[in-house]
Amino acid sequence: MPDIWGLAAIITKVALYLGILTAVGTVIVALVFKTDRYIGPALTFAVLGLVAAVLSFSLGGANLTGDASGMTDPEMLGLLWGTSVGTALLCRVVGLGLLIAGLFMGRSGLVLSSVGGGVALWSFSLVSHVSARDTALLDGALVLHLGAVAFWLGILIPLKRLAAVPAHWPMAADLGHRFGIVARGVIPALIVAGVYLGYMLVGSIAALLGTGYGQAMILKVLFVVGLLALGAANKLRFIPALKAGDPHAAGHLSRSISIEWGVILAVLTVTAVLTSTLALPT
Amino acid sequence: MADEEMRMKNILLAGIIAVLATGAFAHSAMDETTPAHETVLAEAPAEVVMNFLHDIRLTRVSLTHADHAPVDLDLSAYKGMEIDFTVPMQPMGSGAYVIDWRGLGADGHAMTGSFSFVVE
Repeated sequence: MPDIWGLAAIITKVALYLGILTAVGTVIVALVFKTDRYIGPALTFAVLGLVAAVLSFSLGGANLTGDASGMTDPEMLGLLWGTSVGTALLCRVVGLGLLIAGLFMGRSGLVLSSVGGGVALWSFSLVSHVSARDTALLDGALVLHLGAVAFWLGILIPLKRLAAVPAHWPMAADLGHRFGIVARGVIPALIVAGVYLGYMLVGSIAALLGTGYGQAMILKVLFVVGLLALGAANKLRFIPALKAGDPHAAGHLSRSISIEWGVILAVLTVTAVLTSTLALPT
Repeated sequence: MADEEMRMKNILLAGIIAVLATGAFAHSAMDETTPAHETVLAEAPAEVVMNFLHDIRLTRVSLTHADHAPVDLDLSAYKGMEIDFTVPMQPMGSGAYVIDWRGLGADGHAMTGSFSFVVE
């Protein structure tokens, strides 16, 4: 069981994942589907990501001393800054800074925001368990995996917003339909990259079943299977019904998206535990 | 709406409980210690030796003894990444000794762990 600083680090990491992935996803979706009203959500989640990144770094200092003094201890923070944790913080601040700057440059700024988002996503390859393996293929798979997750998260806010207003139901159906087409390529890429990463990190069925890391990975996969089921229900039932003018479809879609957010938080929490406290199988 | 929120909270709670219950926590990379974990000794040692599997920068080592307040052990001899550490300690008589350690791995991961021994 992690101590209070370990728990604080896990909670902050969930906020970090949620902030960066949703901000990046909102920008990608705005770029690909030309959705409007993206600035507010992207800015909110980017600021969440920035705050969580700095707090996460500071909590790293507390983890080294075991008390709050480590959060501002120059020696501890200097130690962290000299490792890949410091480089990751730099990538996150610069990446999210670029993402936010792009939001204030109109639609053309979305390209700059996307570049910044890519830098922020890349930061995870510097500090995850993948970084210890030091292979470009694993790093690439992780960034691809995270990019696909971000894309998935990015559609949820505009889709739920459009589904909430009857006048916007045709737009919601159209957006959901177009997302479904792109998702045919993105979701398999997410799964393939995830399975590859899982295989490389866990290594065997025995380790998958017999270690805390492997069991947490199984739990994560179960949550993801639930997400895929919800996504399939949206694509195959609720979006077509919405398109056909079914007045109940928007409510079903909205509830499905709310449940998706809950499951996503569970997935991010398991991931934060995996990357914070559980040792890789040896 | 309240049902939805409750459902989401339950899903999240179930996930957290399930993961926290899986055990094998900490990025611990301890190889061995002297005294060894759960050893019973006739006499208190004047130092503890910690051998790790990989380079680590120890940032805090504290000793807790049944009859005394926890004390931080002196790490001033170590300012860089090392694998083996020999840390002096003040013998405190008979009873259980618990050593808690914290450190930073070369990959930037914070590590924690503890071991204990008993002096008769």
